[in-house]
Amino acid sequence: MSILVLDIVTTAAILFAVASGLMIILGVMKLINFAHGAFLTVGGYTAFLTTEAGITPWLSAPLAAIFGFLAGIVIERLVVRPLYSRPLDAILATWGLGIVIGQVITLTFGREVQFAASPMSGTFDFGAIDYSAYRIVVTLIAIAIGIALTALFYGTRFGLQARAVIMNETLARGLGIDSGRVRTLTFGLGAGLACAAGALITPLLSVDPNMGLPWLVNSFMLVLVSGVSIPSLALASLILGGAQVAVSTYISPIIGGLTIVVLAAFILRINPRGLGLG
Amino acid sequence: MASLSSKRVYRTVALGAITALAVIAIAPFFMDIYTTNILIRAFYLAALVMTVDILWGYTGILTFGQSAFFGIGAYACALVFTHYGFGPLWAIGALAIGILAALAVAAIVGWLAFYHGASPLYASIITLALPIVLVQLIFAGGRWTGSSSGLSAFPTYYWSTETWFWIAGAYLVLVTSLGFLLVRSDFGRILVAIRENEERAAYLGIPISRIKTGLMMASGAVGAAAGFGYAAFTNVVAPELGDFLLGTELLIWTALGGRGTLIGPVLGAIGIDVTASYLSGTLPFLWKLLTGIAFVVVIVLLPRGLAPILGQAIGFVIPPLRRKPPQSAELVPADWRPIAASFDAPPLKIDELICQYGSLRVLTGVNATVKGGELLSIVGPNGAGKTTLMRCVSDGSERTAGRVYVQGVEIGRGAPQSIVALGVGRSFQNTNLFDTLTVAECLMLARYGVDGAPMFARRAEIRMPEPALDIMRATGLDKVLATETGSLSHGMKRGLELAMVLATEPSVLLLDEPTAGLTKAERTAIGHTLKRLTDEYGLAVVLIEHDLDFVREISSRIVVLHQGSVLMEGTVEEVVNSELVRAVYSGEQVEAVA
Repeated sequence: MSILVLDIVTTAAILFAVASGLMIILGVMKLINFAHGAFLTVGGYTAFLTTEAGITPWLSAPLAAIFGFLAGIVIERLVVRPLYSRPLDAILATWGLGIVIGQVITLTFGREVQFAASPMSGTFDFGAIDYSAYRIVVTLIAIAIGIALTALFYGTRFGLQARAVIMNETLARGLGIDSGRVRTLTFGLGAGLACAAGALITPLLSVDPNMGLPWLVNSFMLVLVSGVSIPSLALASLILGGAQVAVSTYISPIIGGLTIVVLAAFILRINPRGLGLG
Repeated sequence: MASLSSKRVYRTVALGAITALAVIAIAPFFMDIYTTNILIRAFYLAALVMTVDILWGYTGILTFGQSAFFGIGAYACALVFTHYGFGPLWAIGALAIGILAALAVAAIVGWLAFYHGASPLYASIITLALPIVLVQLIFAGGRWTGSSSGLSAFPTYYWSTETWFWIAGAYLVLVTSLGFLLVRSDFGRILVAIRENEERAAYLGIPISRIKTGLMMASGAVGAAAGFGYAAFTNVVAPELGDFLLGTELLIWTALGGRGTLIGPVLGAIGIDVTASYLSGTLPFLWKLLTGIAFVVVIVLLPRGLAPILGQAIGFVIPPLRRKPPQSAELVPADWRPIAASFDAPPLKIDELICQYGSLRVLTGVNATVKGGELLSIVGPNGAGKTTLMRCVSDGSERTAGRVYVQGVEIGRGAPQSIVALGVGRSFQNTNLFDTLTVAECLMLARYGVDGAPMFARRAEIRMPEPALDIMRATGLDKVLATETGSLSHGMKRGLELAMVLATEPSVLLLDEPTAGLTKAERTAIGHTLKRLTDEYGLAVVLIEHDLDFVREISSRIVVLHQGSVLMEGTVEEVVNSELVRAVYSGEQVEAVA
């Protein structure tokens, strides 16, 4: 039972970390970034390269974040900027971008499954049960990400400008906020978060060129259900992630893989605003 | 009634179909067996891509999930032949099961994705979830569905490759011809209208949810039949036939070929799939990389794909193939007898209407009754809630509390199109038209509720009620029927807006500043028409207007709205001479006395 609780909490934390980059881009730019899955994959390969180079695995997520941030800024300029007025086309263009990134990775690293070293192995001892130490660490990191994002959006000048753009972009521009710069930085931030999340989850799984795809679909659903709000995303991750763990444990892992998608579709059908906290 | 333009479309399609069939008939004798095999697959996928283009390119539904229907058809074939039996009757039965399953799934998708008020993004999510769910179900099917390795070596007809090629080719030509007739028909214009401006289309009484669901079901059936044919030919099915990646590939082919051209995506699918089969042997990942780059470039720089560019190039070289200006339908008078006078109940009754957004109360208990033959003007300063009042009357989901009766029927939470069906016509404050449709096409749309629209033909005549024709003549619109509305002048757009509302033959007419920005002559013409609508046709007209002179000339009664409630109600003279109204307009603080 307590293993189930730990599974739910850690799964929710992982989902939150993975989906946060997508949510930030959606919130500020009103754009669904379908290259999110590819960014996760890039993060995974950064972790793999860090292992190969013999650098401590603790550095893989920060390195991935820096790389993702820079790549995101370039991509925003080249691909995303011309599509602000065509949101459905932006989905397709970022999906195409995901294909390009995936194929570049395949050409460089091959199709086979590879592994990255975990920063820490072993288990934490919770009295009666032992639980994977790294999953606990990832949970703590996810909570830190949540706090850092809240601080960024509610405690800095950039955050204030970004929130102004979220609420009313035309008005924000009228007040002298450079919304183009806000968008570029946001896309970089979202991409950086996605890459870092990819690097974080890789030690739990393995790396292959398509590893991001299932995560993309689940994050997409979570973000739509939660709306643009950090606590609300945490809640959505907990509810839907919890349902996924419960279904996987008690019914079947295959049906469990569907839980988030199906539940999200029905939640949105009943209430188009999702959980509606945002 | 087959019009000239209808005949031209039939001739083009027949000519194209016969040419294509002739090429398909002789092609196998000039190709090696490998190419023939690849083309059979490409033909079935092209039929699927055709449905993606109708849904996305024409109607604006971005669908990731059409591959699911292909998978359903393929698995219907494989499951029946593997587990139950094989023979002509079994084959027909399996095809029927595949199509019925696809229809049922499409109906569920439609119910989920296309309810009134659903965002286009939500529809895309549902179509994205569909293939993911299907593939997981196939995985969960264990030995019955063959799980991840699929089913193979089930009995099928061991016809020659040529025969399969002809079947696939004929199927593609058949469905593409039907698709072509559909998008060129009057009904096809309705699909474009939904893509261009869904909200406006709803206010013209077009049942959008039903049309989209119907289209999804038809596309599902076409896709399932293609999947069935493919499975029967290859003798192998695998979950990849129905998965999300194939679904996105269909979108890529549609975008590259040229969305909204039908022939572009079909040829694009064949071309890319065949090239891919040749190149992916030698350069598998590089090929996919190049397609990905081409896709991004096309979406960013050439949203309309390659077909229009090629089409222009061909038209430049061979003048007879140049696109001819569309022939426009003619307007003929329709016999319109409004029913308003025969009812006991007033055409429009508003009872304690409240509308609030969060804590902001825009309307605080408005009561009003409009009788047949009456023109009620609503005046009041900006922000008084005038447009909100109109919105609450014409869309059942807008108001917070209170009741609205049209012809004695409570509107409930009805969508705009069902309220239009009760007889409410609404014009908008902002000119809100379909930019790429012509004037005649817009009028045809507006007649959908009354005259319907043929699915595979074009009509030569559009029936219009007399008052709408008057407006058309007064604003000179009757001379520019074939012009796209995007290039009309402001006055003409306002005139068209009004003519479209009248074309729906309403018994209650809601007009939001119909004369804003018009010349004196145009205002007078509209004023005359409104007078005629109330006096001769017995319509109940509600008019929002700032121009008090105009209001004074034509109104029977005036309601003054201020801060969400009725401040005063009375005859023209009473209101116009009231101190209170003057005070409100000059912005003084007043206590409500009405």
